[in-house]
Amino acid sequence: MSESRDAVWEVFARKAYEEPLHHVGTVTESDEDLALVAARSIYDEQPWVHMIIVPRASIREAIRA
Amino acid sequence: MNTATVPAANDAARACMASLVLSLADNKAALARRYAEWAVSAPTLESAVAAAAMAQDEMGHARSTYPVLKGLGVEVGDEGLEGHGHRLQLLDDELPDWTAFIAANLLVDGVLTTFVAACADSSIAPLAQRAKKILQEEGSHRVHAEAWGRRLAGGGDAQREALRARLRETWEHASRWLGPDDDPAFAAALQAGMVRRGPAEQRDQVRRWLVGLLGPDMVLDEPSDWSRWDPERRRWTP
Repeated sequence: MSESRDAVWEVFARKAYEEPLHHVGTVTESDEDLALVAARSIYDEQPWVHMIIVPRASIREAIRA
Repeated sequence: MNTATVPAANDAARACMASLVLSLADNKAALARRYAEWAVSAPTLESAVAAAAMAQDEMGHARSTYPVLKGLGVEVGDEGLEGHGHRLQLLDDELPDWTAFIAANLLVDGVLTTFVAACADSSIAPLAQRAKKILQEEGSHRVHAEAWGRRLAGGGDAQREALRARLRETWEHASRWLGPDDDPAFAAALQAGMVRRGPAEQRDQVRRWLVGLLGPDMVLDEPSDWSRWDPERRRWTP
């Protein structure tokens, strides 16, 4: 298991389609499919209708105070 | 449904399906326990949580499958995760390492789910209903197994060889679960629309999926030696 596993994904979800996505946490996993499985498993405390994951490395800061 | 609602099914077909359904539930209960043990020792927190979630799913599947037996004329008590002894010998004890866990995730879960998929439009209505729900939840088990399978297979020669060895060992047990292809009782169940595909066809589905996923060196054989297979408990003793 030599593969690096330090890719961090930000997890967003919402309970109703009319609601905005909320940040609910992160998962650390280099494989995209496993990151999706992990996000669904870890953040299953709410009856979400929509959940997405975004690689932290893809986030660009527009403002940093 | 009760036994009176499947008058066209002969006793052999019904007994064959009862044997498969009881063993399906027992194997799911055993798989739940084996998955749960790794929920505290998986290589990453993410996989530990996935193992716990899969264990929870399997427990639910076992719980919802046992009642199907009543319609097949079999009364069973509630044995919880202990089951009734109709499980693969491979699942008697803790899976020895993470590679063995992934091999079980791929092939034990894979064979059981392939059977459930073959029952999705079964003439045994309660089985067909449960099959649809089980297949929904098994989707994430498959994604987990495939992603870890690819990771281990691509992790260098030693890791690939270790995976191949565990897959072959697991296949010895999992492949025989459906029984020999010339079982007349299974043929009767097919004829009665209780299940859609025969044992060899289902095994072939799993074998082709694995080769497509991991490469041609991961080819698995159709079992030919049935001398140590216990048809009552659907269990192979190496």
